[in-house]
Amino acid sequence: MDQTTNDPPDQMFTCQLCGLSSPFTYYGQKPPKTRAIVLLEDCYVTKDPFSPDKEKFLVLGSTCSLCSTCVCVSPECSLYYTKRFCMQCVNKHLEQFPLQIQTELAKKKQSTKTAVS
Amino acid sequence: MDQHRRTDSRSWDWDNQHCRAQMDQIFFREQDYIRAGSSEHREFWSFFDRFQRFRMKKEMCGSRREDCRDAGTKSKLDLGLPAEYDARYRINVSVCSRDMEERLGRADHRHRQRSSEPGPEEVADCRLALLHFLDFSQKQSFGKLSKLRREQKCLPIFQYKDRIVELVRRHPVVVVAGDTGCGKSTQVPQYLLSAGFNHIACTQPRRIACISLAKRVSFESLNQYGSKVGYQIRFETSRTAITKLIFLTEGLLLRQIQLEKTLEQYQVLIVDEVHERHLHCDFLLGVLRSLLADRPDLRLILMSATINIKLFSNYFGSAPVLQVPGRLFPIQVIYQPIPSEEQPSRSEKLDPRPYLRILQGIDQRYPPEERGDLLLFLSGMAEISTIQEACQVYATHTRRWIILPLHSTLSIAQQDKVFDISPVGVRKCIISTNIAETSVTIDGVRFVVDSGKVKEMSFDPKAKMQRLQEFWISRASSEQRKGRAGRTGPGVCYRLYAESDYDAFASYPVPEIHRVALDSLILQMKSMNLGDPLSFVFIDPPPAASIQTAVTYLRQQGALDARGELTSIGRLLAQLPVDVVIGKMLVLGSLFNLLEPVLTVAAALSVQSPFLRSSQQNPDCATARQPLQSSHGDPFTLLNTFNAWVEVKKERGSGSRKWCRRRGLEEQRLYEMVNLRRQFKELLKSHSLVESEDSGAPSAGDRGQRRERLTERRRLHQMKRQHELQEGSKRKVLRMEENQDGASSSGSDTEGTRRKRKDKDQSRQSMDIQEVKFKLRHNVSELQEAVGQELTSRQQALLKLLLCRGLYPQLALPDTHNSTRKDSEQVFHTKNKQGVVIHPTSVFASDPEVLQVFEDDGGEMGPEKKLSSKHQLLSFVTLLETNRPYLSNCVRVPALQALLLVCDSLDTNADCTRLVVDGWLELQLKEQNEALKTLSTALGLRAEWERLLLAQLRQSEVEEPGQGQGVSRRALEKLSEELVRFLLYTEISYSLQRLAAMQTLNLYVGPQPDLELPALDLSVLFPGAEVKADPVKGGLRVTSFFTYNCLTDSKDLYSECLRTFFSCPHCDLYMPLTPLERMHHEASCRPASELQPTEEDAERGKTKSSAASSLTRVYHCDVCNEDLTLTSTEILKHKRQHMAV
Repeated sequence: MDQTTNDPPDQMFTCQLCGLSSPFTYYGQKPPKTRAIVLLEDCYVTKDPFSPDKEKFLVLGSTCSLCSTCVCVSPECSLYYTKRFCMQCVNKHLEQFPLQIQTELAKKKQSTKTAVS
Repeated sequence: MDQHRRTDSRSWDWDNQHCRAQMDQIFFREQDYIRAGSSEHREFWSFFDRFQRFRMKKEMCGSRREDCRDAGTKSKLDLGLPAEYDARYRINVSVCSRDMEERLGRADHRHRQRSSEPGPEEVADCRLALLHFLDFSQKQSFGKLSKLRREQKCLPIFQYKDRIVELVRRHPVVVVAGDTGCGKSTQVPQYLLSAGFNHIACTQPRRIACISLAKRVSFESLNQYGSKVGYQIRFETSRTAITKLIFLTEGLLLRQIQLEKTLEQYQVLIVDEVHERHLHCDFLLGVLRSLLADRPDLRLILMSATINIKLFSNYFGSAPVLQVPGRLFPIQVIYQPIPSEEQPSRSEKLDPRPYLRILQGIDQRYPPEERGDLLLFLSGMAEISTIQEACQVYATHTRRWIILPLHSTLSIAQQDKVFDISPVGVRKCIISTNIAETSVTIDGVRFVVDSGKVKEMSFDPKAKMQRLQEFWISRASSEQRKGRAGRTGPGVCYRLYAESDYDAFASYPVPEIHRVALDSLILQMKSMNLGDPLSFVFIDPPPAASIQTAVTYLRQQGALDARGELTSIGRLLAQLPVDVVIGKMLVLGSLFNLLEPVLTVAAALSVQSPFLRSSQQNPDCATARQPLQSSHGDPFTLLNTFNAWVEVKKERGSGSRKWCRRRGLEEQRLYEMVNLRRQFKELLKSHSLVESEDSGAPSAGDRGQRRERLTERRRLHQMKRQHELQEGSKRKVLRMEENQDGASSSGSDTEGTRRKRKDKDQSRQSMDIQEVKFKLRHNVSELQEAVGQELTSRQQALLKLLLCRGLYPQLALPDTHNSTRKDSEQVFHTKNKQGVVIHPTSVFASDPEVLQVFEDDGGEMGPEKKLSSKHQLLSFVTLLETNRPYLSNCVRVPALQALLLVCDSLDTNADCTRLVVDGWLELQLKEQNEALKTLSTALGLRAEWERLLLAQLRQSEVEEPGQGQGVSRRALEKLSEELVRFLLYTEISYSLQRLAAMQTLNLYVGPQPDLELPALDLSVLFPGAEVKADPVKGGLRVTSFFTYNCLTDSKDLYSECLRTFFSCPHCDLYMPLTPLERMHHEASCRPASELQPTEEDAERGKTKSSAASSLTRVYHCDVCNEDLTLTSTEILKHKRQHMAV
């Protein structure tokens, strides 16, 4: 049950890369009722719809620290490594990322390719 | 991270409960995001174990930590990333609390003293694990969300989203047509929700669909744990004040319209599956069509398969149609007509060879490792068991098939097996009725075999009989069946008929409104003030004759008056969600002190039988059922069963499951009964037909008890929630031996079937969710107290009479020669249908002796006419013709008494020794005096019964309960006492037979224009009734149902020879009277004791005194030439005086 009968119109978060769109309830680093938890970037946050617990939150996405594109947290769209990078920026500056990440991305590219073909 | 990993030999042990508890003190306190004891907390620790193992492994491999960057030669922009890789940098969450900081920093200024205290390293380890765990949970949830959105996008209807919203904005009615799998049922309501529409109702033909859709849509709209999306079905609702979208059944929406004509509570109505053309749906469309005129703001969306779309669009003034392609894989159609030598002739069983060939063919053509099950459509249960048997032999031999039947009379557990998975290399062969055409959807079907046949229920208005007949299916059904092969991949459909047959099929199935009895529909229309049913604009109007039959029937049942308006009992019946006959039973039961058993019987007769057919052959079940059986009739067996079950529930709780299994009972039906029963009771209460008992201090009990109940309820709610969480999980893998004990009988699933997918794993779990729901809804001790008392034989007799009156005119007469026939060949006759038999499930099929007539001595009325005082009739609930016409749910009742008390038409000869009831049953009574006495008693009882019933109904119409003048309890007790006496102790010899056709032609004397009206004022005997010559039958019409002296062998009304001496037991009258005079005297002359009005009876006394005064009238005596005020008897006496002189 929700507390309010007349909830304000939903604000929508939409990923500019994949188009995923979902309402969000908070933007920032300290979502309500998260106690000792702090987000390290400004995020679009909603209540976790898959948890029966009302206080569990879910981060939908944030903005790319380089190009300010609004992206979701899906590994296809963005990557967090001390900061948020959209996949486009990651690919542009791939050589600056640690090897672990580079190989990981390469592997993923391969697997999606084989899956498609 | 820390290189020098815990070299110190402290006894910190991560596996130690105590150590973990200490960490819990730091990270998972009451005020933290994750609390100790919660499910996340448990998940964390199991994650922690995995995480530690992972780190350990990584460390052993030795981490390569080369600097990966090429010193930024190429790019001008430095991202400022740390030089060294650390997985922690990939987490956008941090956790910090003062407690934690302190502990982490403690090492700096204080060295550890107690080894059991966690040091900063341990705290750091745990913190790191927590961060990874939080990140992991985020990824998991987001993964679900993104998968969900991806699937939504993939649905064929997705690209029409904006178009649909726009159409709905611009048009009051929109038709969305799309085939299976296009996603219309789940997506359209969501599109409207997200476009800002509110208060949306979406109807479904089946209850189960309401629940599963509400569940799916609330999940998809990310409101799984909220109540924005809900459902509402007969006994259950998840609706709250904030519910924006509700899934409900068509019938329920109709009931809501009944209560609130303009349906202001909704802004948008979606009527789904309109192409199925259910009775309720057709009617609903008609009602909504006229509603739209009053509600221009209302939006209506019809959703249908791509069948007959024009019909719907045209009905709503050429409403725009949006057609959406379905998502079906290609299906190869193979026509394989059955060769003539394998065609079964009418009486024969199906030849299994054509079906076996298909199984063989599949085995030859497709390697077993290619998955894909087979779905076989047959017309009915008998056909299913024949083919099942043959296929089973083949399956046992090849070990490549598991054969599973599917029809609505299987237990729910058995039905659910079709959803289980077969082992590798083995296919499921599901042999089903048309239940799998729409109601049940099974994934993984690759092959469909279509027999092209269906058994459909039709209604024969002439015989008032349901008929289950086999027909060719329609092209629409044929396509629907085919489509079942292409849901999960390309498929094959074998049609066991020729393409030319297919072309000759009807385009669409016959809509239900053309096939069934319209009694309930017409009643509902009347109560909704929809005017003349004949002029109502249906989408596809039913035949006028069908409407007329229903109106006549309702009139017979007293629900409509002569002008076709609702009577007070009719208004009440219209609100009960049951058949008219069952509704009548409830009303009658509320009058007498028999409410509890009547509630149970009415509920039992409104749901499917709990007795599983498949268990009937099982000798253990039969023995265990034995004590439940009642020789009085099937409703009594059901009553015993229900009461025994409640007893078991009280004693053993969920142990009832086992109890049911031993007796071959489907417990689900008993749960349905208990819910229905309560709904009935509440309805009767709301109409003040039952006193609400809860007004008197609700189980005042002590506080402790109440608290205990509260705690218990909280626990149950928790269990229910827990069950809902784990629902819909794993499917079971079938075993090869998984086969049915064959259930053979005929029938088919024509009406909505009620399987419940959600109960799926219930029978295998330790928690019995049905038991939990039962306990939440009912107080078993109270229930047990209410139903637990065994009926006395008097109550039993009265209950039978109530059932008989409710079920009237559904009566059957045993054939005269039954005593010479075998048990299985007992024959019965109803008024309109001769030669019916008792359904094998009935108690009278296994025990027909109880219907045997014991002849009285001196039977002198000829060989055909046995004299006895013990003739019996069967009152029955259904007459259904399958391969033979069967009676089911029968009660035996004493013939003469029941007929006199309930019949619609009673004709007699002059001395009342020959009675003809309802124009088809003839009773000849041996003793004239006895006959008169019996008849006169019955007439008196009926009048009183009617009076009290009307008073009761009038009371229910008074707005505020308690305002009306209640029916005197004393009068009721007296009436039931007398009814029982009449039923049990009427000892009169008579013969009972059906009139032959010839006899009915020459039954009545016909109108006698020169007949002089008797001097008696018979209106005294039956207040309100005017005695007059019957214009058709002849004789005298005494009451609405009783015509005296109209039978052809009648003698002259006043011939002196009819007079016999009569001495009144109450007054000193002794004189020769005609039968009519005598009845009249008996009605007006009461024992002195009864005439004293008691205090409680003051109210009734008033009516009585007025009746007494109306007994006297002015009589002008020609001899005395004087006006005298006398009662009729006094007039007679007076006349005699003159004669004697």
